[in-house]
Amino acid sequence: MTEAGTEERQALHQRLERVWANPPGWRSLAAVNHTTIGLRFMATGVVFFLIAGVMAMLVRTQLALPAQDIISPDVYNQLFTMHGTVMMFLFAIPVLEGMALYMIPKLIGARDLVFPRISSLGYYCYLFGGLIILSSMVLGMAPDSGWFMYTPLSSAEYAPGPGSDFWLLGITFVEISAMAAGIELTVSILRSRANGMSLRRMPIFCWYILAMALMIVFGFPPLILASVLLELERAVGMPFFEVAGGGDPILWQHLFWLFGHPEVYIIFLPAAGIVSTLIPVFAQRPIVGYRWLVLAIILTGFISFGLWVHHMFTIGIPKLAQAFFSVASMLVAVPTAIQVFAWLATLWTGRVVYSLPMLWIIGFLVVFVCGGLTGVMLALVPFNWQVHDTHFVVAHLHYVLVGGMLFPLIAGFYYWLPHLSGRMPTRVLGNWGFWLTFIGFNVTFLLMHLTGLLGMPRRVYTYEPGLGWDWLNLLSSVGGFIMAAGIAMIILDIALHFRFGRPAPRNPWGADTLEWATGTPPVSYNFASLPDLRTRHPLWESPELPDTIASGEHGLTDVSHGRREIYGSDAITGKVRHVIHLPGNSWWPLFAAMGLALVCVSLLVRVYPLALVGVVSALVFLLRWSWENGAHPSAALLVHGESHDPPLHSRTTDGPGLWGMVVTLMANGTFYLSLIFGWLYLWTASPGWSVPEGEQIALWLVIASGLALTAAWMDFEGAVRALRRGVDQGLQRRFWRAGLLGGGHVALLLWALRDASLAPTALAHDAVLLVMLVYVLGHGGLAALLTVLQAVRVGKGYVGRHVPYEPVVVRPFWVYTVGIFWLSVAVFLLLPMAWGTPA
Amino acid sequence: MFIPMLLSGCGGPLSTLDPAGPAAASAAWLWWAMFAFATVVLIVVVALWLYAMRRDPGDVTDESAQRVQNRWIVGGGFVLPLVSITALLAFGIPAGHNMMPLASDEDVLRIDVTAHRWWWEVSYPEEGIALNNELHIPVGVPVHVHVTSEDVIHSFWVPRLAGKLDAIPGRTNVLRLQADETGIFQGKCAEFCGAGHAHMDFTVEAHPQDDFDDWLEEALQSND
Amino acid sequence: MIPGWTHPVHLFAGLVIWSLWFVALYGGLSVGCAVAPPAAEQGALTWLNGGLLMLTLVVTALLAYAAWRCWRLAPAGDAQRFVLRVAVGVYLVSAGSTLAVGLPVIVYPPCV
Repeated sequence: MTEAGTEERQALHQRLERVWANPPGWRSLAAVNHTTIGLRFMATGVVFFLIAGVMAMLVRTQLALPAQDIISPDVYNQLFTMHGTVMMFLFAIPVLEGMALYMIPKLIGARDLVFPRISSLGYYCYLFGGLIILSSMVLGMAPDSGWFMYTPLSSAEYAPGPGSDFWLLGITFVEISAMAAGIELTVSILRSRANGMSLRRMPIFCWYILAMALMIVFGFPPLILASVLLELERAVGMPFFEVAGGGDPILWQHLFWLFGHPEVYIIFLPAAGIVSTLIPVFAQRPIVGYRWLVLAIILTGFISFGLWVHHMFTIGIPKLAQAFFSVASMLVAVPTAIQVFAWLATLWTGRVVYSLPMLWIIGFLVVFVCGGLTGVMLALVPFNWQVHDTHFVVAHLHYVLVGGMLFPLIAGFYYWLPHLSGRMPTRVLGNWGFWLTFIGFNVTFLLMHLTGLLGMPRRVYTYEPGLGWDWLNLLSSVGGFIMAAGIAMIILDIALHFRFGRPAPRNPWGADTLEWATGTPPVSYNFASLPDLRTRHPLWESPELPDTIASGEHGLTDVSHGRREIYGSDAITGKVRHVIHLPGNSWWPLFAAMGLALVCVSLLVRVYPLALVGVVSALVFLLRWSWENGAHPSAALLVHGESHDPPLHSRTTDGPGLWGMVVTLMANGTFYLSLIFGWLYLWTASPGWSVPEGEQIALWLVIASGLALTAAWMDFEGAVRALRRGVDQGLQRRFWRAGLLGGGHVALLLWALRDASLAPTALAHDAVLLVMLVYVLGHGGLAALLTVLQAVRVGKGYVGRHVPYEPVVVRPFWVYTVGIFWLSVAVFLLLPMAWGTPA
Repeated sequence: MFIPMLLSGCGGPLSTLDPAGPAAASAAWLWWAMFAFATVVLIVVVALWLYAMRRDPGDVTDESAQRVQNRWIVGGGFVLPLVSITALLAFGIPAGHNMMPLASDEDVLRIDVTAHRWWWEVSYPEEGIALNNELHIPVGVPVHVHVTSEDVIHSFWVPRLAGKLDAIPGRTNVLRLQADETGIFQGKCAEFCGAGHAHMDFTVEAHPQDDFDDWLEEALQSND
Repeated sequence: MIPGWTHPVHLFAGLVIWSLWFVALYGGLSVGCAVAPPAAEQGALTWLNGGLLMLTLVVTALLAYAAWRCWRLAPAGDAQRFVLRVAVGVYLVSAGSTLAVGLPVIVYPPCV
């Protein structure tokens, strides 16, 4: 390369760096860059993993010999509850999210995710939530009802301490981060791919992450609802799960597993994505059966939502219903088998290069197939009745989760390590780490199947000698410590490699995907110029791509405006439709997360006025954050003669925000449908269900408030329609009117609520109605508030004929608010009238 | 060495692999059949993978890769799991059917079990007998155990006789229990229920029919 | 408005139908057993089983028809081939899953 070329490159790099770099020092807390946030997620996740691992070691120490008294039952119960909780919620999901946040923009040829500040908010919610949960262990008041928190064991009566509150509030807080990642990844993958990267040209990893992200969107809301309901029961006595008040503890199990089973696949899919990414690279040929894999991913994403009752086969539901879930549970083996055999076919037709990541992939295969097979066994109801809740299940779930998640994750860590550090992993320590982990794992858990078959229930803190369990438990404990040594070896290996690893050449494994074109370690903007793609294997077909990208030969190299920009592309074809301008570094996400943390902590210590302060401050921070948008000077000020080819996204009526809103509403809708499910479930199945006589809520008032809401929405709708046609006369007036009508709706509904004769602490029926009313009120209020803000923004010139974007984004929220209002009237008020009082 | 160690290790007072009743026996049978099948599948799949990694593929054209793909994915991804599932259900559904409570329960002995933290309240409602932590049943005939709970969720489990059934507040579940040999069988709470969970044990004693009648009479007298 | 058979919505439409059917199946069974439970002595020959079986067969037929339509269509270009081939698979597996999950209604009594 010529000297002039190098200089030019350097200059481009500096220009981009000025716009994209993180702030230095402690101010990097305001960073929003996806590489930074992804690494923070992963590093935090690894720390939580080690802490939960130590808890597992303590558990194994206690169980090593019969009738031991090292750990009291009280502490033991906290240990296994926290081990499961931390591993699931604070390690497995966040670390995979972190990996996805780190990888996805690089794989699809973008410079960042579409909602960078949301990434930052997600991280802080995760960090604060995780610390709150962990602090309970330090304070000696950790949750102790098992990681699935079955009521009534976790209820105020049988768990009077704050342990359950730590779990419910902390996990809900952490889940904000999962939802944020789910929404953001979905929209990023669909709307910001490199020009020409159509659906079928997406790297297979993106399909896996897209499925994971959407599963988070639909899978987490039931648990969030369940947590809210149980916390309400514990804090103020609304008896959703108490038989005496007409509730039902089984409702908790349904809601929990409605989340809990998809969760297993939320964890497995990205890990399988790692496997599908690594195998073709090391087999030196494209993956065989790309379409089959896509089919398998889609199947897994759906079918895994139809299995949840297989965790509940022993609760005595009708055998026919058990049969539905039993068959569905077995059918989910089909997409998994498709993947295993597609991988096999790829290896079969490729020339395989041995490497450390490949070793972990083989380990994954052995362990995961074993776990899958025991999973099919467990799906068989008569066998399930024997081994359910025994150590057989403990063994099975560790085979699936460690085999299906940890092994591929470590394979991925080793594979992408050169990307992150610019250095290659070493061989010797890495091999030791693998073999110790692999052997230790199997010694621990293979035998544990037999322990379960010999009748050892899970979650017992000790056992009598002479039941045939002694030698098995001793060996399991020994295996556990071998595995711990293996993990220590891996950490040592990775730590040392940063110092001693041999520098990595460009694209060290000979991979086909774009992330290896970002430079290793990656630069803050990933790509100096954004290339067009015509193939699924860009680096195999044009090996010069890293060079041409770095020297700015492709698109979007102009940063003279100082904005962070990426391409916004068509969801299907991947053709560029507009330029997305991204927000830069910001403190608002951190402040908003601190507000939410204040809510969480003050609810824990039950200082409710302080919680209100937290809610208001978080809301203010979030709204202030949303202020810097559209034509706001710190976003993308309107300038005369700006380029319209392609236009900035805020100058159009379609963009990532709209998609983000729709995906958020899908999650929100799932939350709402879960509430309807709970309502119908309690009506039909709750053993002590009772319905008060007479009209509790003035129907005419509710309907009047609904009419106001509908009128407000129609006003807003009309304004947006006009705006789409390029007409903004009277826009501000219409927004004010819609906002005021919305306010009227809220006032009328509040009046109805005040006059309602509800006894929410005595009857589950009334408690559900109250939750519904508050939910509807919250939406009406928020819709009105957002509309008023739009009116103000029109006045400031941030929204208008040339910047029509924001009202289009708010519109789905109005549609949703009106929709759930009338649906609520139908399902919660009118349907019971038609149904009549049950005998 | 490993196999005989495994087999000799299958006994034990709580072992599902040492069944003494029809339900536990069919579950144990299902286990051994599935275990054998799963072992074969695991070994074959892993062996195929290892071989695939070592073999020299030669020149693979796109068409031959396509053929390999279809062969493996249709064979391994569809045929294998579907055949396995069908076989599993062919054995599993009848086995499950035979564990269900009998439809007409007029002649069947009823025992009510109420779980408490951390003990089992046992009563024979028709005979008017009340006991703690022990059940007595006649050998060779099914009895119906009506299980419920007074506080949190527990699970009633006698591994050598039958599968477990949860004891849930507000609900009553019916378990069909039958012993094919006399003796005392251990039972345990199988659903985590708090600090005393590990020690929430009970026993089921199966008597020959005549002895059981005698026991009933005796129990009635001592209960009065 | 139904998008054409080459629209990417057919990548998952079959499974959306499967999900709705699954909800109807489990919900229908639960509501049926709560409102008017057939007696256990009737075995599997009840109105409830019959209704669920009908529903299952109709949905299976619908999904199989969709698979057949996608299979018959000649793709114009790689992008369409991708959608059509995956859609065939999704519709077929959805049809198979519907039938397999629904079939136990001919064996088991509904409410015990």
